[in-house]
Amino acid sequence: MTKLLGVLVDSLLAGGLYATMAYGLAIIYGVMRIINLAHAGFLMLGAYATFFLFTRFHLDPFLSLVVVLPAFFLIGVALYLAIVRRLPRSGATPSMESLLLLFGLWLVLQNLAYAIWGGDTQSILTGYTMKSLSFGGVRVGVPLLLVFVASAASLVVLTLFLRRTYVGKAIRAVTANRDAALISGVNADRISATAFGLGTAFAAMAGSLMSTLYAFTPDFGRSFLLKAFCIIVLGGMESATGVALGAFVLALLENVFGAYTPIPTTFQDAISFSLLVVVLVLLPQGLPRLFARRSAHAR
Amino acid sequence: MSDALLTASGVTKRFGGLLALNGLSFEVEAGQVFGVIGPNGAGKTTLFSCLVGAARPTAGEIRFLGDRIDGLPNWAVVARGVVRTHQIVRPFRQMTVRENVSVGAHFGTGGRRGAEAAWRVDSILEKTGLAGRAESLAGTLTIGESKRLEIARALATEPSVLCLDEVMGGLNPSEIQGAMTLIRSLRDSGLTILMIEHHVHAVVGLSDRILVLNFGEKIAEGNPGDVMSDPAVISAYLGDALEPAGVT
Amino acid sequence: MIARPAPRNIRAAAAVIAALVLLLLAPRWLERGSLNDLWSIAFAIVLASAWNILGGFAGQISIGYSAFLGIGAYTTALLSLKGVGPYWTLPLGALLGAAFSYVVGLPTFRLRGPYFTIATIGVSEAVRVYAAGVSYTGGSSGLRMPPGTFDFDRDYAAMMVLAAAVVLLSLWIRSSALGKALFAIRQDIDAAEALGIHSTRVKLIAHAVSAAIVALAGGLFAINFQYISPGSVFDFRLSLSIVLMPIVGGIGTVAGPILGAIIFSYLQIKLLSTPALRDSYLFLYGGLLMLVMLFEPRGLVGAWQRFQGFVRLPMRGAVPRV
Repeated sequence: MTKLLGVLVDSLLAGGLYATMAYGLAIIYGVMRIINLAHAGFLMLGAYATFFLFTRFHLDPFLSLVVVLPAFFLIGVALYLAIVRRLPRSGATPSMESLLLLFGLWLVLQNLAYAIWGGDTQSILTGYTMKSLSFGGVRVGVPLLLVFVASAASLVVLTLFLRRTYVGKAIRAVTANRDAALISGVNADRISATAFGLGTAFAAMAGSLMSTLYAFTPDFGRSFLLKAFCIIVLGGMESATGVALGAFVLALLENVFGAYTPIPTTFQDAISFSLLVVVLVLLPQGLPRLFARRSAHAR
Repeated sequence: MSDALLTASGVTKRFGGLLALNGLSFEVEAGQVFGVIGPNGAGKTTLFSCLVGAARPTAGEIRFLGDRIDGLPNWAVVARGVVRTHQIVRPFRQMTVRENVSVGAHFGTGGRRGAEAAWRVDSILEKTGLAGRAESLAGTLTIGESKRLEIARALATEPSVLCLDEVMGGLNPSEIQGAMTLIRSLRDSGLTILMIEHHVHAVVGLSDRILVLNFGEKIAEGNPGDVMSDPAVISAYLGDALEPAGVT
Repeated sequence: MIARPAPRNIRAAAAVIAALVLLLLAPRWLERGSLNDLWSIAFAIVLASAWNILGGFAGQISIGYSAFLGIGAYTTALLSLKGVGPYWTLPLGALLGAAFSYVVGLPTFRLRGPYFTIATIGVSEAVRVYAAGVSYTGGSSGLRMPPGTFDFDRDYAAMMVLAAAVVLLSLWIRSSALGKALFAIRQDIDAAEALGIHSTRVKLIAHAVSAAIVALAGGLFAINFQYISPGSVFDFRLSLSIVLMPIVGGIGTVAGPILGAIIFSYLQIKLLSTPALRDSYLFLYGGLLMLVMLFEPRGLVGAWQRFQGFVRLPMRGAVPRV
């Protein structure tokens, strides 16, 4: 019973992190119909940025978010203006050019990190890294708890932003029905730039949070990228709730497999990869079908 | 069961909340030219998609030579001999006209290869007046030529039923005359033809039988003379389409 | 008029065979180091041209080809360790590669464009994780081929023949009915189906052919390097290179993958021999990929054609996109 409770709590906490990680991908896809493979690169750079601030300025990893979030938002906006905007706009399905361009960007980011920090495995050790709290027999690591709090807070803030502000509403409008929103005078360039900045910032934030939990190398991020895909395909992406749900389901599956089956932990990643393929195949039209379901239109 | 070549009974297609086709039934006999008309959004193209397997009807059945073909994938229906053209032309732009047509010859019902395929492709290019453009990239054709390429590719699959989706849309009067001559000669060679057409004079002049759709339902069916004098047809469709002849 | 006898193809085929003869005679004049480089270039040409059959001709961009290379390499290594002659293991490796391509393709070919690409990343990662976790692959310590299985001259000749064969096969496919079906699928899959093309079957055939070739190359890789590990043959970066070579060279053409492979292997040979740059060749690949996507998605071949068109026919119409 305690074991089950433990699995549920772990899944919930990991789900929060996964949701933050996936949301950046979802918002860019929703607004621009671009599959941002560079997401993995920003995830990794977020971890290294926090690592840098921690080792150089002894800034607490969670406090470093104050620097990391705005910095990566600006980086995202700049990259959009400099590179992504030059691509022909995607139609209903993402273009191969955008996929491959951002794939190239990911490779560049990854190797930038190799050049700066080398290929060694890094990790961040704080005073509370090894601490844990006990709730009715369920032990929970302090970093994981903090990560969950930060993730949940960021998702709440994002939801408020999307519901209350003009830009947020425009992002939601473009995501729900691009053509209609653009015809009604939404500035596509400005919204896309904002979305790309937000997506980048969320990726980096997820990376920062992960740096308190896992060791990382410049190759860090690839398996998480696939997990993020898995989540947005599972949960849809119209709402933070959908993404959170998808994230929880994936985390739950991983934890259940880890706790109740003899599958070695080295295979844990394979769960999400296989799930990704299965879910993609069960939704043969891919992600657009999730949108089509909403706006019951055929052609 | 009659000796109809193609039978639709109760064909219904629903896209989410939209009812595109509602319980449609009709029969097409071998050798007929069967016109399908109706206002924009009446479900004509959706009907063709269901006939060739590009879309799966939500309910109802479609039979070709007595066998059910609804639910079969598009390529399998083509292999049995029912093929369609596209209203919005879809040439393989980076292939030449000849290559476009030979795709149909290689794959359709015949599966022709080598010299046999080349011979068929040449005769079809000749028949559709594309011989002079055979080596041009399909992306460089005019709209009239593109429409003929749609027909040529479909013919190359050696069908017994040819579904033409607005092959006269966007053509000038002399091109329309040419298209009508082509369709007549295809009918005379034994093909069964279904055609969606907004150009009323062409449909009336060519069709042996006409089906009128409105909001996914059949509102009239019969020989051209009867259909055109049907009050329901006049109010639903001809009322606004007769003003300038040939509007699309 | 009969179908064009494609003099272009006959000339190209003659050039390939002439090049093969020269390369087979090369050991008489060249020293071992240069022959090694030639082996690497031929290996890259095999991978790039084989990938191009599905990825280029049919436009199905798969980033999961290291799986087939790994299957070929492990089939050869494991059977050789059981005492089978290494060259006798190659057909089985090719067969297993093709069989696995079928298992992967059957579900994923329902997906279109980028969704297919994402799914292939998932498959290749799953395979890599699996291969690193089971014992018979030797885990992270890898496998060493049994002694006496190394014969550079034979492996060199085999790789040259394979490379020439793959290029000839590409030429043949390009002018065949299969090739037309693949081009049609790349340009408009629905229109292709509307002309009777069973797109899934055609894609499965192309996938199986290219997977079998890559598996063959994997077997020769194991024989030549005598040591394999999941890290070397199931590496994600290897999957990347396989994709990048044809894209940079000119996707969907016969010459493009060859050109891309030559440039990439030359770069890699140069970079790997410079310790400071050893880890950064992907940086270069990534930059190249971005440049190609931004300025000429049809790769170097496309840029060349545009240049030619510019010189000869300034008024020619817009260049079609990939």
